[in-house]
Amino acid sequence: MNPAQGGWLILLTLALAMVLGIVHLPETWPQWLGWLRPAWVSLVIFYWVMELPHRIGLIAAWVIGLFVDVLQADPLGLNGALLAAITYVAWRFYERLRMYSVLQQGVVVFVLVLASELLRMLVQDMMFNRGVGWGPLLPALVSLLLWPFVAIALTRLRLQFHVA
Amino acid sequence: MRGVVATAATPLVFLAEIPYLLSQRVENVFASQASLVQQTAELERRVLELSQVSQQFLALKMENERLRELLGSRARLPAEVLVAELVGIVPTPNTHQVIIDKGRDARVQVGQAVIDAEGLFGQVVEVDAFSSRVLLISDADHAVPVQVNRNGVRSIAGGTGELDRLQLEKVSVTADIREGDLLETSGLGGRFPRGYPVGFVETVLIEPTSSFAVVTVRPLAALDRSRHVLVVFSAPEEAGGGVFPEDESEETSDEAPGEAEASTAADLNSSIEAAAEMNEVEQ
Repeated sequence: MNPAQGGWLILLTLALAMVLGIVHLPETWPQWLGWLRPAWVSLVIFYWVMELPHRIGLIAAWVIGLFVDVLQADPLGLNGALLAAITYVAWRFYERLRMYSVLQQGVVVFVLVLASELLRMLVQDMMFNRGVGWGPLLPALVSLLLWPFVAIALTRLRLQFHVA
Repeated sequence: MRGVVATAATPLVFLAEIPYLLSQRVENVFASQASLVQQTAELERRVLELSQVSQQFLALKMENERLRELLGSRARLPAEVLVAELVGIVPTPNTHQVIIDKGRDARVQVGQAVIDAEGLFGQVVEVDAFSSRVLLISDADHAVPVQVNRNGVRSIAGGTGELDRLQLEKVSVTADIREGDLLETSGLGGRFPRGYPVGFVETVLIEPTSSFAVVTVRPLAALDRSRHVLVVFSAPEEAGGGVFPEDESEETSDEAPGEAEASTAADLNSSIEAAAEMNEVEQ
């Protein structure tokens, strides 16, 4: 069996996560939903690095971050650095993380997303004077709630298509 | 670099727009006949109103050109426009940017003004091969030089980060700006062509302790609803009366990193003062 297969699935899920990150909600929906948008790309990249640390490295995470920068109109390189940091944590502790229950993993995801959203807020405040607030807490919480579903769905896909 | 990645990411933007378009389609399918009839009646009424206004407009335009000739100033050249459709938005609630479906292929350039049916919408800040990004006038990084339609008092309308509110910056408490005044672009700064409506003054708050009045403005453009916008093609000197050369506005924009091209309020203030001096000299 080919030792490295199913790369297309990893790319596809990452692309889907990016699309979900910028999807345009119908205008009849309340606008505050925009603040609840989870960090889709962080969730998906965390999963793949934890399960297949040999497939996604820091450079790959950084390149994906460039795309996210462009899609979300962030300063070029910001998301690259944040995703690379998440990738590093997942890669450094993947053996331990795999032993955790889904809920414990969720807590790690919560901390990582919260930290990266806080950093994003600080950078945006320094560059564009956007101000600081409680905003980053919401995406982190929603990411925590969504993590079990994302993890289960991605595990299904991974086993179904024998991604290794 | 950014342009290359942006062009490669364009398909993702189009994909992200699909749910929104579907919801619109569903809405259209399930619209009741009564509401459609009502909508048609309203549109017909509006066409009638507008055609009446445009009849007057022709006469006024001729008269205006004659008067301008008498005054010895150049006639205002009609601006060319390009109809563009919104294909995406930036989801972050405090970044007011949208993506339109015209890019380098349609000769769109960074810095062009974008208007919708009601008023000034924003300006182009980034051009890719087939799409470009528009910074809305309500973004906290955006500022547009304006003047009061009633008496020509100049000011700067800065975005607040809220879609339905702009704020005039550094307005003296003695300035003649009242609630209900119409603000239009002044053409100073060389970026926006002159004379496009921006919004109505909503409140004027004068605090005894402050040397500046707090003036909030309700933008006319439907910033969160318009799907079709117009990209204005016009050389700034032609539309703006030639007060400032183009390169000056480029200089100011280089200082702002990232979202770049929104001129900062301080720069515009100084350029407005310069303009006032020039006007005095002319007189």
